Amino acid sequence: MPESQERGALTEAVYYILLSLFEPMHGYGIMQYVAELSRGRVVLGPGTLYGAISTLLEKKWIESVPEGRDSRKKEYRITSLGRDIVSEEIARLKELVENGKMITGRNRA
Amino acid sequence: MKNKKAVWFSAFTNVVPSEYEAWMEGMEAQGWHLNKIGQWSSIRMVFQRSEPHKYRYVYDMQPFPKKDYLETYKQFGWELVGQMASAFIWRKEYTSERPEAFTDTESLEKRGRRTAGAASVSMVLFWIVTIVVAAVLAALWGKMPPEDRMQLIILDIFFGVLAVLMSIVVRTIYKNRKK
Repeated sequence: MPESQERGALTEAVYYILLSLFEPMHGYGIMQYVAELSRGRVVLGPGTLYGAISTLLEKKWIESVPEGRDSRKKEYRITSLGRDIVSEEIARLKELVENGKMITGRNRA
Repeated sequence: MKNKKAVWFSAFTNVVPSEYEAWMEGMEAQGWHLNKIGQWSSIRMVFQRSEPHKYRYVYDMQPFPKKDYLETYKQFGWELVGQMASAFIWRKEYTSERPEAFTDTESLEKRGRRTAGAASVSMVLFWIVTIVVAAVLAALWGKMPPEDRMQLIILDIFFGVLAVLMSIVVRTIYKNRKK
């Protein structure tokens, strides 16, 4: 069962790591990309990033890229299962936002 | 002036990871520097006199680190001070904002759970020994010479005390797992 059904939501770190791995990237690159994407709000530390990458590899939502250009720095990329998870999460988030806007908008009017 | 300071049983007086980190950071701030940490540093940790340092220390329990574990921290500019059993000690010098290795509550809590899990391994072992020795005593009570009996009782009390202490340690770490 995918984590999004099991727990109801991905953590911010997991969601953003999955998004960044639509292009192959190494650990530090992921942190930089996520920081940029979230305008500095989500800055991942190495402990958090390593833990999330290990879990995502186990779940096969991401995979290691064989023979990275720089062999010392391991690169990762999202799998097709990972893409499905992201799509599900986007649908879930969209529902949250739409319902939130509907209710708060109605109250304001 | 003394240039060295040895601290005994630091891992047992600072069982919660965040407290251990803060204690090492405090030592560095007072000018007591850790050159490295080794297998036995939890028993005896040696500090050298130096300039005060503003370090962020991180205690990370990793019983089964994968190949990219060390590399991930190093890419982020963290220095491995050493390893005590499965506990990795990292540090990073900073000036303004104290850097974090665990940047969300989920991963911080997982670190706490891993630490409590590792401590509970020794807790379970101590309890098993305590129970087995007690069972042997009960089974052979009448057949044993009194001096052997006394030795076993002392042994059992010793392991019983360790088991109780480790249970308190595990409980303390678990209660503070989100810190």
